[in-house]
This record gives sequence, C-alpha cells and structure tokens, in this order.
Amino acid sequence: MIDTSKWPFDTVLVANRGEIAARILRTVKLLGLKSVVVYHRADLNTPAIALADVAVEITGDTPVAAYLDANQILAAAKETGAGAIHPGYGFLSENAGFCQAVTDAGIAFVGPTPEQIDLMGDKVRARAFVEKEGFPVAPSAIEDDDPATFLERAKALPLPLLIKPAAGGGGKGMRVVRDADQLEGEIERARSEGQRYFGDGRLYVEKFIENPRHIEVQVLGDSHGNVVHLFERECSVQRRFQKIVEETPSPALDDKMRTEICETAAGIARSAGYRNAGTVEFIFGESDGNAEFYFLETNTRLQVEHPVTEEITGKDLVAEQLRIAAGEPLGYTQEEITSQGHAIEFRIYAEDAAAGFTPTTGPILKWKVPTGEGVRMDAGIVEGAAVTAAFDPMLAKLVIRGANRDEARTRADAALRDLVLLGCKTNTAFLRRLLNHPAFIAGDVHTGFLDANPDIAAEPELPESQIHKLLAAAALSNRPIRDVTDLTPDLHAAIGEWQN
Amino acid sequence: MAELGGNVKVKHGFKLNETEYDVGLSRAKNGYRLHVDGQTIPVNLIAGQEGDQILTTGSSVDHITLAVDGDDVYIHLDGESYHLQFEHSLQRLAEMSEGSAADSVKSTMPGSLVSLNVVEGDQVVTGQTILVMESMKMETTIVAPRDGVVETLHVAVGQTFDKDAVLVTLVPEEGEEK
Repeated sequence: MIDTSKWPFDTVLVANRGEIAARILRTVKLLGLKSVVVYHRADLNTPAIALADVAVEITGDTPVAAYLDANQILAAAKETGAGAIHPGYGFLSENAGFCQAVTDAGIAFVGPTPEQIDLMGDKVRARAFVEKEGFPVAPSAIEDDDPATFLERAKALPLPLLIKPAAGGGGKGMRVVRDADQLEGEIERARSEGQRYFGDGRLYVEKFIENPRHIEVQVLGDSHGNVVHLFERECSVQRRFQKIVEETPSPALDDKMRTEICETAAGIARSAGYRNAGTVEFIFGESDGNAEFYFLETNTRLQVEHPVTEEITGKDLVAEQLRIAAGEPLGYTQEEITSQGHAIEFRIYAEDAAAGFTPTTGPILKWKVPTGEGVRMDAGIVEGAAVTAAFDPMLAKLVIRGANRDEARTRADAALRDLVLLGCKTNTAFLRRLLNHPAFIAGDVHTGFLDANPDIAAEPELPESQIHKLLAAAALSNRPIRDVTDLTPDLHAAIGEWQN
Repeated sequence: MAELGGNVKVKHGFKLNETEYDVGLSRAKNGYRLHVDGQTIPVNLIAGQEGDQILTTGSSVDHITLAVDGDDVYIHLDGESYHLQFEHSLQRLAEMSEGSAADSVKSTMPGSLVSLNVVEGDQVVTGQTILVMESMKMETTIVAPRDGVVETLHVAVGQTFDKDAVLVTLVPEEGEEK
C-alpha cells in the first residue's frame, strides 16, 4: 500500500471525462486521496461524476470547449483545494501553457515539465533532439535544412523512399519511390501536389518502411533522475491513423529486439531528463530480412492503451504518476520490473465499421459488461445515458489478460460476445471478426492491415435462420402486434396443429 | 395481399439492415406462429434471468437481450447486436407522398457545424456551399442539392447533430416552375 500521508497534496482534480476520468478517479480513491472532477453538463450521467467526491461544473460554447478552458479548471482546483491536477489524455494533457499555469498556481501537474512537453511534444524538435543524442531516426533529407543540396541528399538515401510534403498530414501528397531514376520526377510531382493541397511545396524525403508496425514503449521517470521502461505495446491495428487494438508483448519482437527497443526508449527519456509517464513511439519494419526501428514521436502523457502495460507488469500507472508528482523516487530498478503473460486492449467505438468506420449515436438502453478471469472493462458510459456526437466515439476499453497470447485471444472473443450495448451501434462484431482473422491470430499485422483486408470491416450477410429469429423477437416484443395477435380468435390453435 | 404463409391477413413491416420484411404473427397452442417468406415457424419469447429473454424459433432456443425504444427494437443475439425498426403502414404511405428528398439537406453522419455560408432567405444554386460540418476530425462541405431558396437553417455554428438530422430546408425559388 502506498503511503500518501507525506505527500504535498491530499486532493486530486481530474481534468478529463469519459473512461479515463473514471479510471484515474478509481486510483485516486484507492490511495485514500480526495477526488474532484470537472464536468460539462452533457456528461452529467457518466461514471466519473458518480465516482468523484466532488464534481464541479464547467461550461463552454461546446462541451469540448469546456474541457479546454484552463481558467475554469484552475478556478475549480482552487475552489476545491486540489493540490494536483491529472490531465488524462487529449484535451489539455500535452499543452505546455496549461502545465505552466498549473505549476505557477502552486499545483502539481501530473505529467512532465512544460519544457519537456515543448521539446518532446513537438515532432520536428523531438526528432532533431533524438537524432542529436544518437538514437535511431529514419534516414531522411529535409529540404528546409539546405534547399540547394536537397536533391543530392535525397539521392544518397537508401531505396525505397517516401516523399512527404513538409506541411502535410493524413497521407495526402505522399509518394513512394522504388527506382532511383524516378526520384527527381516524383519530387517535382510531390512538390506540385503539396502546393495544391497545402499551399506549400516544401518537401522531405525519408526511408520508406514496407508494411510498418507501430511499436511503442512505456517509460516512467521521477524527479530524481531515475528512468525505467515498462516494456512495449504493439499498436499496429489502426484505422484513419487511430489505434483500435493494442497488445503487449508485441508478437513481432524477439527477446534481443525487445531489449534493444525498450532500452532505446528509456535512453531517449533519460537524455531528456524525462519526468512522469511517457510513451516513446517507434516505426518498426523489416528490410532485406533485417528488423529495424526508428523513432517516431513521444507522447508526454498517459496513453489510452496504458492498461495492457498494467496488466502484464502489475503496476498501477496512475498511482505511479501520482507518486512521481508528489516528488517520490521510483523506488525500484529496471530489473525489478517484470512482464508476465499477455494483454490485449480493444477500443469499443460507437461506429459503423462497414460504413467506413463512421461514428454512430443513440441511447444506451442496455449496457452489460462482461466478467470473468482476466477481463477488465474501463468504461465511460452508463445505462440510461446516450452516445452523442459531442465527443470522441470511444466509449470504453476492454482489456484482456491471459497466460499467453492465445489464451488472451480466446478470452477476448468470449468477452466481446458477452458485451451488450443496445441502442447505439458499436464495433464489437468487427473486433470479433478481426481477432479471428488468420493474420491477426498469427500476429502478422501492420499499420495498413485493415486497408489491405477490407473484408474484416464488411458485415457478412445474415443467414435466413438468423433473420427469422430477429423478426420473431421483434414481432413478439412489439406490444401492439402482440396485443392484436392475442385478440384474434385462436382458430388455428383451436383446430390443433393446422399447417398451411 | 400476398400470402405470408398460413391464413394470416394482418402483416407487419420491420426494417433490418435497410431491407424491409413483412411478417405475420398468429396464436398457436403454446405460443405463437411467425409467418414470413411463405413459411410458418412456431415462435415464442419469454422472460429469462437477469433481464434476458428466451427466444424459441422453430427448434432452436436462444438467450437474447432486447430493448424496445418506441418503434426501434434492439436485439443482442449470438454475441452481436441488431437494430430493427417497426414500420407503421401509415408511415410507409406518408414516406411515399412526402416532398422531394432534395427539399431538405440531411447529415450523412453525426457531427458538428463549423460554419454557415448562407442565411435564411438566400437564393442558392446547385452545388453552392451551404455549410461546413466536422465529423471524425475531418471537415466536410455540404452543398445545395438543387436551385432554391434557403427556408430554414436548423443548426447553429458549434451545435452537434446526429446522423440523418435535417440541417437545411430549401423551397423552390419564387416564380419557379415546379
């Protein structure tokens, strides 16, 4: 049990909503600390409000705007005597200005310093820092570094190459070059595309990784200079550059590669003097049969997918974050952190996978959470509430632990089968198709996996027997239909087993 | 009226995955009969434990979870959730006689309004941008489906809406031949 009696704060304000607010509040309460949550009216009927000792209403032009309003959150902290603010993920969690304002108000920010958010949260600055410190970044040529020598530097890179617009995003204007002779022409085409899409023709070229995996490493640093890693998470199954399924250990890594990638992440965090919980993301792939990985970016906050790490290490990451924010040293070494078993997280989204993963809305008429060995549900919804378009469509996270990957997968299939949400379409049926797909069973996935296998998102046609069951249930549960039927003289029944 | 199977005169419409089904229901000795696709199937639905229901369809028995919300019925069967909509016969007629779908501009997905490019009373031409909405962190431009005059704007900037929400109602331009 963690002793919080000497901590500089006894009240923690959670500046977030949904499942992560509830998840943080659970640990705050477990530690015997007082808990406060801020909420917008649209979130009145959610688990976080029920869990918190005190809930303070905040307002905004939109519900999202309320959670981005630093002044209201600081005022709520002062009003309730909160000595620490946990920002969760999203919203203000990676906002250096907010972090600074919290610190200036004499309140502990449960996260890194404003300087670390500035450095590691900025993709370009972080990449330059990581490269300068001698850690692996993808070989690249950035036009801005020296436009005159750009083409020459690009030609010197190993093939295949990826040309990206400097101002780009979302995959627009990117071109793959596999033949050195085509590089110059493709650069010109990419430049004109960049100009057209973004009004900016500046480019950069980097080594292209075929079918890359997204592998990230959880790190923890305290304010005494200690940094450890808590192993990796594989998050390759994505749609629209957003993760859907995350697991640990990664099926792609052998022990040697696992050690190398995890120690690289810890080394990067150590170089930055990183404090609190962070995640170092890498792109991982194979070229000419050799595994390789490159730094992608750092997330200076608690991740959505942190529970899989908790399940295999036994560490409560929110409790660790709070201990660090209270100024305590980690109190354990790298060797004392062990990984046991396998954990997979499934994000439960309100969305229609077959319709291009578009968001869905509706009332939450029934909400039944699966239970059983190794089953954990971090949910942000309650029965009787509604899913609206006001927030992100992620409703909950199903986290499954097993002695090994197969056991976790089998348990996950049963849990997803038992999960009931009626009133709003979710992705649970899609997740079951995904986890039973041969490539997923083999652990053979990459970030383009769902695009390459559109059959997983497509809804299979219902057999006639299933349609008849649904129609029977619908007709029998419809009060007027049943009443009319019950009032009709029971002629057929009277003459026995009459058939047409 | 088409025979549904058996000598059933009252038919009920349900929509499932955009397909409409006509079903009939009649009493049987122990329960009911479902008349669908020319077949007659003995069926029954009784309360089970923990809010579940026990559905009998022919020889199969399933434990299902079910929720009814007006004309919407949601069913969890075999680990998957389904949505069926009861179609009133009058409602079906009304849908057929309603004005052209292009009189109103509906949202194809839930989202929020980013900006409005017109005000009520504005004349618009086919393809003209009416508003910009945001969904899934992406902006989408909504254009006029035909020439006309903006009669009503149903949403304000910043407001969120569900799929199929009517965003704008158009009326024909004055003097325009209908």
